[in-house]
Amino acid sequence: MLNFATRRFGLSLLILFVAVTVMFLMIRAVPGDPVQIMLGPRATPELQAQLTAALGLDQPIWKQLLIFYGNLLQGDLGTDVFSGRSVTDIVFQQLPFTLELIFASILWSASLGIALGAYAAAHPNTLIDRIAAAISVSFVAAPAFVVALLALLIFAVHLQWFPAIGAGEGFWDRLNHLVLPAFAIGLSWVGYIARLVRASMLEVMGESHVRTARAFGIAERRVVMVYALRIAILPVVTVIGVGMGFLLSSAVFAEIVFARPGLGKLVIDSITTRNYPIVMGSVLISTALFVVSTALADLINALLDPRARTAH
Amino acid sequence: MKIEWTKANVGRRGFLKGATALGAATALPMGWANRAFAADDGVLRVRAYGDAQNMDPAHSVGVVEEEVHASIYNKLIQYKPGEEWGWQLDAATMIEQVDPTHIKFALRDDIGFTNGFGAMTAEDVKFSMERIVDDATDSPNKPDLGPFSHVDVTGEREGTIVLNKPFAPIWSIALPYITGNIVSKAAVEAAGGRIGADPVAESGPYLRDSWSPKEKTVLKRNPDWKGDAPTWDTVEIYPIDDENTAEIAFEAGELDVTRVSLGSVERYRAGVPNGGSLVEKPSLYYVWMGMNVEHPKLQNQKLRQAIQHAVDVPSILEAAYFGAAEPSTGIIAPGLAGHRSSSLVPPEANFEKAAQLLAESGETNVTLTLDTLNKTTFTTTAQIIQATLAQIGIAVEVNVLESGAFWASGDNENLQLVLNRFSMTPDPYYATSWFTPEQIGKWNWERFNSPEFNEIHETAAAETDIAKRAEMYQRAQDLMEESGAYRFITHEATPVIHSARVIPALRPDGLSLLRYFGKAT
Repeated sequence: MLNFATRRFGLSLLILFVAVTVMFLMIRAVPGDPVQIMLGPRATPELQAQLTAALGLDQPIWKQLLIFYGNLLQGDLGTDVFSGRSVTDIVFQQLPFTLELIFASILWSASLGIALGAYAAAHPNTLIDRIAAAISVSFVAAPAFVVALLALLIFAVHLQWFPAIGAGEGFWDRLNHLVLPAFAIGLSWVGYIARLVRASMLEVMGESHVRTARAFGIAERRVVMVYALRIAILPVVTVIGVGMGFLLSSAVFAEIVFARPGLGKLVIDSITTRNYPIVMGSVLISTALFVVSTALADLINALLDPRARTAH
Repeated sequence: MKIEWTKANVGRRGFLKGATALGAATALPMGWANRAFAADDGVLRVRAYGDAQNMDPAHSVGVVEEEVHASIYNKLIQYKPGEEWGWQLDAATMIEQVDPTHIKFALRDDIGFTNGFGAMTAEDVKFSMERIVDDATDSPNKPDLGPFSHVDVTGEREGTIVLNKPFAPIWSIALPYITGNIVSKAAVEAAGGRIGADPVAESGPYLRDSWSPKEKTVLKRNPDWKGDAPTWDTVEIYPIDDENTAEIAFEAGELDVTRVSLGSVERYRAGVPNGGSLVEKPSLYYVWMGMNVEHPKLQNQKLRQAIQHAVDVPSILEAAYFGAAEPSTGIIAPGLAGHRSSSLVPPEANFEKAAQLLAESGETNVTLTLDTLNKTTFTTTAQIIQATLAQIGIAVEVNVLESGAFWASGDNENLQLVLNRFSMTPDPYYATSWFTPEQIGKWNWERFNSPEFNEIHETAAAETDIAKRAEMYQRAQDLMEESGAYRFITHEATPVIHSARVIPALRPDGLSLLRYFGKAT
């Protein structure tokens, strides 16, 4: 297991390095002068030249990349040109908002999706199974931005149950502000996880250990919940790990539609303004999040299922 | 005492029922309790389209930061809310132009800076203005002060602003706007000469209480403010880029004031939710289609004039601006000196004249590219231009660009047609400054090169006779249009909605002057 974890950690570092390097090169390949955007139209050429030098943009790209990694190894992500604040401070100030949104979305969608899928698998080809299938597919098919807008109009504007914008202050207020965005970006995951759990469960239900359990006269509820679901849930763990990346991208639009602070909005704003230090800081952290979550999913899989360790 | 724990007899159904009930019991009242926004809590909630992240006026990047700066700092003069451009006294008790290059002022004696930095003096005015033109400050706002030289301090609270040459815009864009904010000399020097994300000393009717990046800025009354007390105890400014989100937030009762999209104007004309009102203000922005006169395909003036006449502005305003904006006559908006009552080329297309000009040009099989921003308004406009130019046999390919790439087009010599939109301050000098020969390769994307235009730009800034100045700027716009390089489209509009409990204080172009907002009784 230690060997597996070490190899997985090494792979994660490699993925992180490749992703950040590609992003570093891509953002510089995009047309648009960051200095001109940052200083605005009235800046003098002398001032533009000064800032270009201060940002190191007058250096060859390979040198800029080396400087970036050199600073990164010292824990320095740079300084935001607009506010003069440390990029690390800015990114870590926004990160909790995105994390709480992603975790809230995963929590409710996985809980409901697993329950729905397990229930459908336990009652295959019944009316309930078909209703569950219809609901699941509808959820998967519902575009998250449409769900977000409808949820806003119904629950924030019409019923006025939940706030429309912001992230709130204090635990309960923040929780309250999470409801609609987490609902919007988690809804399609409910359907996806439900279909996955159902398929996986039906496969597991036919396996010998489940048949043996039944032959021993163990109650059907216990067979489903303990003997089948425990194995059937493994693909869900993997999917949730990979899903972190998708939820990070969904968080971008949720943060815009619900005017929430967060990493996604920070990245979009920074790319628009060609604020390179913030873009790189945000990409580094979000890539690290993705890499860590997939690695964790692999490790959990390996812990739960010894076959996964040997497969790797 | 021994406590015996027994296993709770909760089945799956019982658990689900209990969890659902608990969820409903906690979530719903929590939501309702939070919805008391419409109550008279003394908090004014306004939307800004961006986040104010720098508290140094020298490094302000525009309207978003100025909204906060104008509330927490003072200027000698401030803009007046209303329908016409004008200014009123703020930190000054007296200000007077004694000759074309000298402006005398006297400060109020009851304005102090926070954090123990003492009373505001003429030294602070001198420091604030001179640091902006000082190269060491690296202020991108330096051009707003034009030929400003220095401030002579003649008393503790008296001084004279000295200009190198006459500069009319000092009254319209320098003193009442970004470069007019007075900061504390002692505080800024103590901070190393530069203010960052947090103000080092404030003096206005409001103080910045907190800033949650990307979420909100909170302003609270300054307890030591001796001037007219602001009506609202607290102002919360929400940075919301998307106008649809802002409209939903307003309708949900979470915002008191927001600019709305032009597409929503018709709906709000029929009624604003929650008893609110719609205010329609003109805008200073100007939108036009430019033609690069140096491009080999567009060097023929007759061809450019044919294109001018083939673009139907009313169709654009109907489709892209939902009928909520008026045609423009140039780069200077109504209400400003130099505005033309009509353009040389009427807004309506004249395809016969366009075809005739095209024939006179001798050009055939004309194919052109039109660069535009990736915003719906502009792509729709570009499509209409494409369709109307097709009517005289000119084929147009539309290039849609993301904002960063689009705004880097200044040095693109291959640019042909471009759909553009510039912002503006309330002085014509600001508008003409982008179309001078010096700006070719920077912001003069049409590469329009007129010595007469340049001469007007230089001399009109120093002209203090308003009528003469207006005539000069009108002539400047005639020159632009005669060149065939410009098809003026619109100044857009600024529709603002506000809740019933607010009396908004807006500049003539619809931007908020937060310190003057009132409460409806």
